[in-house]
Amino acid sequence: MKRRDIMMQMAGLGVLALASSPSWAADEDIVVGAIYPMSGPNAQVGVDARHAIDTALQIINTPTQVDLPGAAGAGIASLGGRKLRVVYADHQADPQKGRAEAERLITQEKAVAIIGCFHSSVAATVGTTCERYGVPFVCADSSSPSLHRRNLKYFFRPAAHDEMFSEAMFDFMDLQKKQGKKVETVALFFEDTIFGTDSSTVQRKLAAERGYKVAADVKFRANSPSLSAEVQQLKSANADVLLPSCYTTDVILLMNTCAQLGYKPRNIVAQAAGFVEKAALDVVGDKLQGMITRASFALDTAGKRPSIGFVNAAFKARAGRDLNDASSRQFMAAIVLADALQRAGSTDGEKLRAALAATDIPGDKTIMPWSRVKFDASGQNTFASPVLQQYKGTGFVTIFPTAVAMAQPVWPMNG
Amino acid sequence: MNAQAIAQVLASGVLMGLMYALIAVGLSLIFGLMDVVNFAHGEFLMMGMYLTFGLAVGLHLDPIIGMPIVGGVLFMAGVLVYLLIVRHAMRAKANVGMVQIFSTFGLGTLMQGLAQYFLTPDYRQISDSWLANKTVEIGGVFLPQPQIAGAVVSLLAFGGLYLLMSRTDFGRALEATREDQGAVALVGIDRNRVFALGWGLGLAMVGVAGAMLANFYYIHPQVGGAFSGIAYVVVALGGFGSVFGALVGGVIVGLVEAMTTLVLPASLKTVGVYALYLLVVLLRPSGLFGRL
Repeated sequence: MKRRDIMMQMAGLGVLALASSPSWAADEDIVVGAIYPMSGPNAQVGVDARHAIDTALQIINTPTQVDLPGAAGAGIASLGGRKLRVVYADHQADPQKGRAEAERLITQEKAVAIIGCFHSSVAATVGTTCERYGVPFVCADSSSPSLHRRNLKYFFRPAAHDEMFSEAMFDFMDLQKKQGKKVETVALFFEDTIFGTDSSTVQRKLAAERGYKVAADVKFRANSPSLSAEVQQLKSANADVLLPSCYTTDVILLMNTCAQLGYKPRNIVAQAAGFVEKAALDVVGDKLQGMITRASFALDTAGKRPSIGFVNAAFKARAGRDLNDASSRQFMAAIVLADALQRAGSTDGEKLRAALAATDIPGDKTIMPWSRVKFDASGQNTFASPVLQQYKGTGFVTIFPTAVAMAQPVWPMNG
Repeated sequence: MNAQAIAQVLASGVLMGLMYALIAVGLSLIFGLMDVVNFAHGEFLMMGMYLTFGLAVGLHLDPIIGMPIVGGVLFMAGVLVYLLIVRHAMRAKANVGMVQIFSTFGLGTLMQGLAQYFLTPDYRQISDSWLANKTVEIGGVFLPQPQIAGAVVSLLAFGGLYLLMSRTDFGRALEATREDQGAVALVGIDRNRVFALGWGLGLAMVGVAGAMLANFYYIHPQVGGAFSGIAYVVVALGGFGSVFGALVGGVIVGLVEAMTTLVLPASLKTVGVYALYLLVVLLRPSGLFGRL
């Protein structure tokens, strides 16, 4: 036999194997990929993401008494009760590692959808990879607005993006101004990856539109050994509101450096991320009293949505900490995906995509303050209303919008 | 930006620079002695910081009290690393340089992994030390006391190192071994013993640096990465193998890094450092005080 014939036969066998795989996989678990930072400076986020998604799996795969989509049954009923199984991968905050892991999960683990990725920079490469393979990407907790504006058919984001978050911040500042408080200048302080730069672009635009003077505009290098010079710029500007966008390490370094250089920001209105991480709050929480952050999740509104308390307890039993902004969104991404699988009745990429696009979950069947989950043509849930929360003691209190507020804001936070 | 702000930036730069120097000197010492670049240097810094944290939490020892203990433990770690790993890596028949790089690099990766597994990726900070959150203010310029302490310890350590190298038999043996490894055997100096003690001394210095750094910096399995990158630049700038060069190099890197932010966006602050480094490489390839 010629070498070419052997090659042809092998190729034929490969096609056969591919074609036949769904039939012998029928009674197996449905595999979903989750790509998170499991090592590196944000490893704790990945560890918590795993607990959050595992909590969702527990609710989906076993009959559970909680008012969430897919909770009552065991597994995905329309697919013969097949169970969901998640394969986790580590992107180490590296967009190229994220892309490679997405490819591996789709081609080797046969993942029917991908959840991720915390870092927006990684969500960007994972999103395009999923698009190429025709596999839906449920972007759980990456919030850069540019992500859903790339004309991707398979991209879905149930949570708000930074533009919606930043708009809420400026709405809140407008309200403070209307109530006669001094809010004239803002200082932007943001890290140099897609998260920080996208966030600052929106904030710069909103500040110009609504008449706030940008007193300092500081882009810094993420994970720097020192932020002294950067903080000195903030201190010199001494703006009415500091608007930081940074991850955990930089939050710790920023707040320590502020204290060392004798700078007390009058107000902090943060773009969540590191500012809501337990790791940062454990270490510099005393310096963050009164800090306001945008949030997708409001643990203190559990009285209004009973499912919050149930899910938080289940999560806490695994993770040893409360749900936060990131882990609540990771949980919801898995629930939204399971709901779509149930309606699709298939693991086929296109059918699942169509089901996701047709998603319509009322807000009270989520654990979020959202009014509903319904995607627009670009895959963005436009009903994911964000809230603002203020850090008091060791917890967050919802202060905005007024309709869901649990307390009055303390403003200014530092006299 | 007014004069006060500029003075603040310069002062912060010098304080951080002395810290960089203390972190880098162990690297320079080991390289000068035996031409081995320790790629696990950042991880030994991390180990020093975790030890300091452990002493602070477990035995309520202030980082300043814990510092000599941490230095001692790291000294022993250095001796062990030489005897168990580096000594064997140096015996490689081919590509000795590569084998050394991979063995120390592998050790660093292992240490990071172990730290993440056993100590969790949570961030730690020593929040109730003697100097925590204390600051001295001079004419509007703020000098954090933990960083002043770090700078003082750095200068003392360099002073001690100078005395050790120039006034003791061990120092002379170290110097002689670095001049000619073969010849020292003829006068009865045990090369392996000097190398092991050299590694011990190098890592003891980074342990002391870790203890002082833990006084004001967060502790995390990956914390070494941010500093080891700078340590390599400091050593290359000051001259590979030169102890005094590490001191000058550290202060220059700290100052240039801080001053770059006065003219460039803060995200580009390492540009100044690397531009200076390139300049030194072009004009004086052995570094400012190198003897290569």
